[in-house]
Amino acid sequence: MNQIPILTLLLFLPLVGALLLLALERREGMARVVALCIGLLETVLACSAWFCQCNLPVANAPKGFFLFEDLPWIEALGIRYTIGMDGISLLLVILTALVTVIAMLTSWRSITERVSLHYLLLLAMESGIMGVFLSLDLFLFYLFWELMLIPMFFLIFIWGHGRNIYSAVKFFLYTLIGSLLMLLAIIGIYLIHGSQSGIYSFGLSAILGTQFTSATGLWLYAAFLLAFAVKFPIVPLHTWLPDAHTDAPTAGSVILAGLLLKTGAYGLIRFGYPLFPEAARTLTPLLIVLAVTGIIYASWIAFAQKDMKRLVAYSSVGHMGFVALGIAVWTPVALSGAVLQMVNHGLTTTALFALVGMLDERTHSRQIEDYGGLWGKVPLLSAFFVLFAMASAGLPGLNNFVGEFLILAGSFKVAHIATILAFIGVILPLVYTVRLIQEVIFQEERRPLTLSDLTLREISILAALAIGDLYIGLHPAPLLEILKTPVALLTGGSP
Amino acid sequence: MVSLNFYLVLSAILFAIGTIGVLTRRNAIVIFMCVELMLNAVNLTFIAFSKYLGNLDGQIFVFFVMTVAAAEAAVGLALMIAYFKNRESIDVEDMNLMKW
Amino acid sequence: MDTIAIPAINLAVIAPEVVLSVVAMALLLINVFVKSEQKGYLGYLSIAGILGTLLMLIPAWGSSVEGFSGTIIQDNFAIFFKVIFLISAAMSILITDKYLEREGCNQGEIYPLILFATVGMMLMASGTDLMTIFLGLEVLSVSLYVLAGFNRNNIKSNEAGLKYFLLGAFSTGFLLYGMALTYGATGTTKIAKIASYIAMNGVSSSNLMLVAGMILMSTGFAFKVAAAPFHMWTPDVYEGAPTPMTAFMSVGPKAAGFAAFARVLLVALPALKPEWSSLLWVLAVLTMTVGNITALYQQNIKRMLAYSSIAHAGYILVGFTAGNAVGTAGILFYMLSYAFMNIGAFAIIILVGKKGEENSNVSDYAGFGYRHPVLGIAFCIFLFSLAGIPPAAGFIGKFYLFSGAIQAGYIWLAVIGVLNSAASVYYYLRVMVFMYFKEPTEDFEWVKLTPAFVLCLLIAVIGVLVPGVLPGLFLELAQKAVLM
Repeated sequence: MNQIPILTLLLFLPLVGALLLLALERREGMARVVALCIGLLETVLACSAWFCQCNLPVANAPKGFFLFEDLPWIEALGIRYTIGMDGISLLLVILTALVTVIAMLTSWRSITERVSLHYLLLLAMESGIMGVFLSLDLFLFYLFWELMLIPMFFLIFIWGHGRNIYSAVKFFLYTLIGSLLMLLAIIGIYLIHGSQSGIYSFGLSAILGTQFTSATGLWLYAAFLLAFAVKFPIVPLHTWLPDAHTDAPTAGSVILAGLLLKTGAYGLIRFGYPLFPEAARTLTPLLIVLAVTGIIYASWIAFAQKDMKRLVAYSSVGHMGFVALGIAVWTPVALSGAVLQMVNHGLTTTALFALVGMLDERTHSRQIEDYGGLWGKVPLLSAFFVLFAMASAGLPGLNNFVGEFLILAGSFKVAHIATILAFIGVILPLVYTVRLIQEVIFQEERRPLTLSDLTLREISILAALAIGDLYIGLHPAPLLEILKTPVALLTGGSP
Repeated sequence: MVSLNFYLVLSAILFAIGTIGVLTRRNAIVIFMCVELMLNAVNLTFIAFSKYLGNLDGQIFVFFVMTVAAAEAAVGLALMIAYFKNRESIDVEDMNLMKW
Repeated sequence: MDTIAIPAINLAVIAPEVVLSVVAMALLLINVFVKSEQKGYLGYLSIAGILGTLLMLIPAWGSSVEGFSGTIIQDNFAIFFKVIFLISAAMSILITDKYLEREGCNQGEIYPLILFATVGMMLMASGTDLMTIFLGLEVLSVSLYVLAGFNRNNIKSNEAGLKYFLLGAFSTGFLLYGMALTYGATGTTKIAKIASYIAMNGVSSSNLMLVAGMILMSTGFAFKVAAAPFHMWTPDVYEGAPTPMTAFMSVGPKAAGFAAFARVLLVALPALKPEWSSLLWVLAVLTMTVGNITALYQQNIKRMLAYSSIAHAGYILVGFTAGNAVGTAGILFYMLSYAFMNIGAFAIIILVGKKGEENSNVSDYAGFGYRHPVLGIAFCIFLFSLAGIPPAAGFIGKFYLFSGAIQAGYIWLAVIGVLNSAASVYYYLRVMVFMYFKEPTEDFEWVKLTPAFVLCLLIAVIGVLVPGVLPGLFLELAQKAVLM
């Protein structure tokens, strides 16, 4: 364990910030600034974790974890406060910190009522998501998993529009039912492991070797998979997502797409596959089929959308389908690709939602048919729009291409047909993205619009994301280097 | 000697009559009397067992049941009076201020 | 026939009960001399009595003393429950005074009645003889009938009292009949002797009289703890009773019912476990489902909490069905945390309510969270805990109960419980949504926060958060208090 408990700080700094905001109930300007400062501090902290990688190996830590903290918590139940960070967590933690700051900035002007509550919820959610990415104790993991749900519900509910009540409740119930079944499975693992080894523990490293009979393992894994698949979302369980996105405020959409969807994939990588290798192998074909169906189906539906936010939401489902495919085949290359794709999707989709939010703020419409001819009016905005839309479509040289390429390359050996079908899924986004760009940016103006170009705040948001996009697109090697060890350990090869 | 079963059957019948009365009657006082009937059916069971088993526990129990029933009656009638003052009825059909 | 021997009297076993009864009787006398505006002081006196009783109980922890020739026992199980009763009584008393003043029925008798009810509950938890349990139950019930109808001028309160009385007496009949049959089958009313008789003579499920006795007693207890399908009285009584008394009734008597229920089934009738656990399985599923589903469309918040309390009885029954150490410890832990969260929630309801309780609809909470941020957050904490969302104590409790069920192999029961708990989140959230989402329709007058209220809320918040975040100590205590 190192001297400064960076991980604990990462976990609780936002929560402390949220408490601070309670005191600033009436002072909205102040609340914004304080929240942003906390967010930035968290980002700095997250990035500083990057430089701890040389720590390896850490005493007592599982292999590959360069930051690790372990304290007793509820000893009566064998629950420990175990958190750790490996390469996969590191990338996602940095993404979380960054996206939260961006969410704060995007709602800087658009949220005018109950400001401090809004920022409070964003910070509380950041804490929850950090917890999910860092926990190495199943009980702790579940706690944070639930913790991130509630702020999201309120974000959609209070600041949403349209059918926000319906969407918030749908979102909540879908995820809650999934996660409660996962809780039962967690208890089941705990009891089975306890009766086998005599040591009752929720710690991941303790539980890892537990043997399940194939039927039990399958049921337990199914419960986990259900919880993760809802978050993912994998296709038959995705219906909450477009609704939630459509009605959520911009910051809500940004966090939802940028971070919340990643938690499902992360859970599958960290807990689902390692805990139930046998059951996971049994269900792999199912997961592959669902992933490929998702990729194609979502792209197809996206093509028909008139609402830009809904279109981006469906494109998210498609992108996450790639992640699911990468995880399902479980080869080193595909898995690195999947993690990278999670980061990519976090950056690109965040940017797209932010852009749609900016347009919405200016004209109060998200319908594609209301726009046109933006290129001539707001060149800067249009340029960013084109950049991110192309990134999302997987244009070589931009980030999504790298992730998708790795996933396809990694999965081809294992699942030929699925990979070929998924390849169609690479092309389809191009079709609807080009249509989107054509209609919104380049086409003749359909009705007179008065628009102002980006403000400095908006430029900084988009520029930060664009830098990320380009960096990963052109030079993904450092990130892949980070992922190499954990992915190798997970897939059973040597690092 | 009358066998135990006769007592048991008798008290079961009394208990059943009491139960049916509680479920079908509408006047609160009659309902309460039916409850008393149930309690007395139980008392009969206790005494019969006590006699049959040859130990006193059952009879002691009966004393307690009777005492408690008296206390209950006092409280219950007081509640009925309070209700009657406000509502001028003790028909349970009228107790419908709160539903679902 | 055996002769009556004077039983060995061991007053130390019932010392806490005696003290509390004496305080209650003294208060009845003092009450005569106290002016109507100053009845609140009686409340403080009764709290002093409760604290004294608590102080007597705590040193007894860890020992197990029997008394009165085995009709009463002071063991960890009993002490744990007694602490719950005393805490819930004290918290309810803290919020009673202002409420009575507002409703204009400021009579001092309410405090002795609460204390008598508490004594009854304590006897139920300690009783090791069907007779003691019955007497405790009746002391409790008779006091509660009066408490439910305490607001004499309010027709709803009258109705609540009368309904509670009629159905309570009715259920007592079943309980007694069950006890009589058990007595007939085993020849004794002492719980330990029932168990040893069954063990020695190999009486089992083939003995119809014993099974009928078990079923009838379970029915009686199910009435008392408001388990479906014997829950019909609960919503009406909870809605109509004075709110502080609703808070009291929803916690203490329920816990007492479970304490006696558990002792009878786990200690006296372990031989019938297959029978009663399948009976409880059905009861648990019905109770959870009926409670939660009906709560979904309640407009009156007191009524909603009444159905929610039915649902909570269902969760506790889940742990009970399991019948193992984990499940029983879960019951204890859950009852403790439930006391804090439920009374806390009712305290807020009293604050928001107006004279005549007009303000108890969910929609009356519109904007409450903005008007009173601190109270709003406290209310949210209670609701989250009720919904079983971490890190509140309610989550740990539920977690423990369901763990017990899974360990005992009742996977489906746990699944049903979890799904129910998911559904329940909806109606708790709905209140929060009103609090933070909707604008207030008009300014409302609310009871001024008095120090007593603040104290009650503070205790409740601490009682919800501390066992939620650091449950270690409390779980250990609960594990030590388990009956086996």
